[in-house]
Amino acid sequence: MTVELRDLEHIYPSGDIALAGVTLTLEGTDPVAIIGQNGAGKTTLVKHFNGILRPTSGSVLIDGVDVTSHTTAEWSRTVGYIFQNPDDQLFLESVRKEFGFGPKHIGMDSDVIEQRIGTVAELVGLSHKLDTHPFDLTPTEKKFCAIGAVLMMDPSVVIFDEPTCGQDRKGTARLSHIISSLRESGKLCVIISHDMKFVTMNCPRIVVLCHGTVLLDGPADEVFAQPDILRRSFITPPPITRVGQGAGLKETVFSVPAFINAIATERNARG
Amino acid sequence: MAVKITYANTPVSRLHPMTKIMAILMLGLCALVWPDFTLGLVLVIALFVVSFVARIPSDFVKIMFGFGIPVTVMLMFIQGLYSPKNQTVIADFGFAQLGLEGVLYAAKIVMDLLVFLGSFTIMSKTTYTGALVAALTSAGLNAKAGYLILASLNVVPQMQRRMSVIREAQNARGLSESGGLFSRLAAYVPLLGPVVMSSLTDAQERGMTLETRGFGITDVKQTSYVEVRWRTVDKVCNWVLVIMAVIVTAISVGIYIGVIPALTPWAGA
Repeated sequence: MTVELRDLEHIYPSGDIALAGVTLTLEGTDPVAIIGQNGAGKTTLVKHFNGILRPTSGSVLIDGVDVTSHTTAEWSRTVGYIFQNPDDQLFLESVRKEFGFGPKHIGMDSDVIEQRIGTVAELVGLSHKLDTHPFDLTPTEKKFCAIGAVLMMDPSVVIFDEPTCGQDRKGTARLSHIISSLRESGKLCVIISHDMKFVTMNCPRIVVLCHGTVLLDGPADEVFAQPDILRRSFITPPPITRVGQGAGLKETVFSVPAFINAIATERNARG
Repeated sequence: MAVKITYANTPVSRLHPMTKIMAILMLGLCALVWPDFTLGLVLVIALFVVSFVARIPSDFVKIMFGFGIPVTVMLMFIQGLYSPKNQTVIADFGFAQLGLEGVLYAAKIVMDLLVFLGSFTIMSKTTYTGALVAALTSAGLNAKAGYLILASLNVVPQMQRRMSVIREAQNARGLSESGGLFSRLAAYVPLLGPVVMSSLTDAQERGMTLETRGFGITDVKQTSYVEVRWRTVDKVCNWVLVIMAVIVTAISVGIYIGVIPALTPWAGA
């Protein structure tokens, strides 16, 4: 699955320039993180991937097809979009019905729907809550219900808008699990997040947006090795990365084991 | 995406909100009591001029014609063709005859409505709602009632914004709003649930926030952050409006009881 943006510009009716020419290609199955300060254009950018927003100029191609040639509803079978606030998405009387809503609308076979409900509920951890009313779920579970409702439609690209917002450690771990299993089944995940730790643990590729343009784009260790440029977008690397950089480690590390490993290697090299 | 509302700094926007409310009432009263449409017409023309001064001509024209044209057509049809007062036939369509008296009566109603609508439009488009509520509370309105007005004026754009977010969310779940009338209507059902539910939770949360900020404290005199000034120009405007209303009412009463001859007999007074 390839998402290709060419000179994408978006200007809101109020005259605010949200995207000032973004050229970017997302492909393969490696999860991509989109980071940047508030107002950098992250949400505006991903809302073009399924045609919720239409480009002011430039184009968005999904596997070579111009996004403007279909409606958002038609794109929903290819590009899944999980909104930040699950309350905007959920409206039916049970988790099961929420899960079935999207697939029914895109004409999925009812046997397939039943089968998928089982696997998706397992994945998002709601197997024992399928007959619960979404409003009776905890905020965390609600978010996973919204995620499940989108994954039910089996889209090839899955966009997560701030998935870690309000999640505890368990929820974040489940999210990581969902993202890695989507990657294994050949899906492309695009994740907007302010949680640098989550981003570095889950996304091999990082795109930094700043004032509607791409500031940095590349593998996580390369992007976070440039703190001076990152500072322009008010992004600070995760604490352990900063400690590593402060201690003069050559390698950019994102976790404590990696940090210890890097220290050990450098010691050994020194002899 | 935030909706920006800016108020151009004009002589109209600088007026005290109470002056503008007074203007709505007095101008409306003048148009109502005057026996025919002529004064209303003069006032409507004056309001168009005011809308230019207030730098809102395009909005104003849109509202006035958007409401005025359909209402005029409808009333002309009903009153012009079927008013029992009709005596003088000015056009004959075969199936019905257009009567002068009905047409003039329709014109009178339309002008009265337009005076109210126009002055209210100018008021609402040039007045910051916070200032309006501050003015009302300082004039003796209960702070809670003031908040109620403010909240209900603010809730509409807020709900519209929510509605569009929820629509996007549902489209992203494969909900299509295209197709026939029925499928369009059916597509609204999934939107309504989240909109109503989220508005209710919003209201509850706002209530709790207000309480934590001391809104419920009784027996204290509440002050307002928004300050509205009563200036000389407001005093003058109010006097002019009241005097005008008194004179117009006096003349109209005179015409009705026959002391004063009709000033514009051709207009059906």
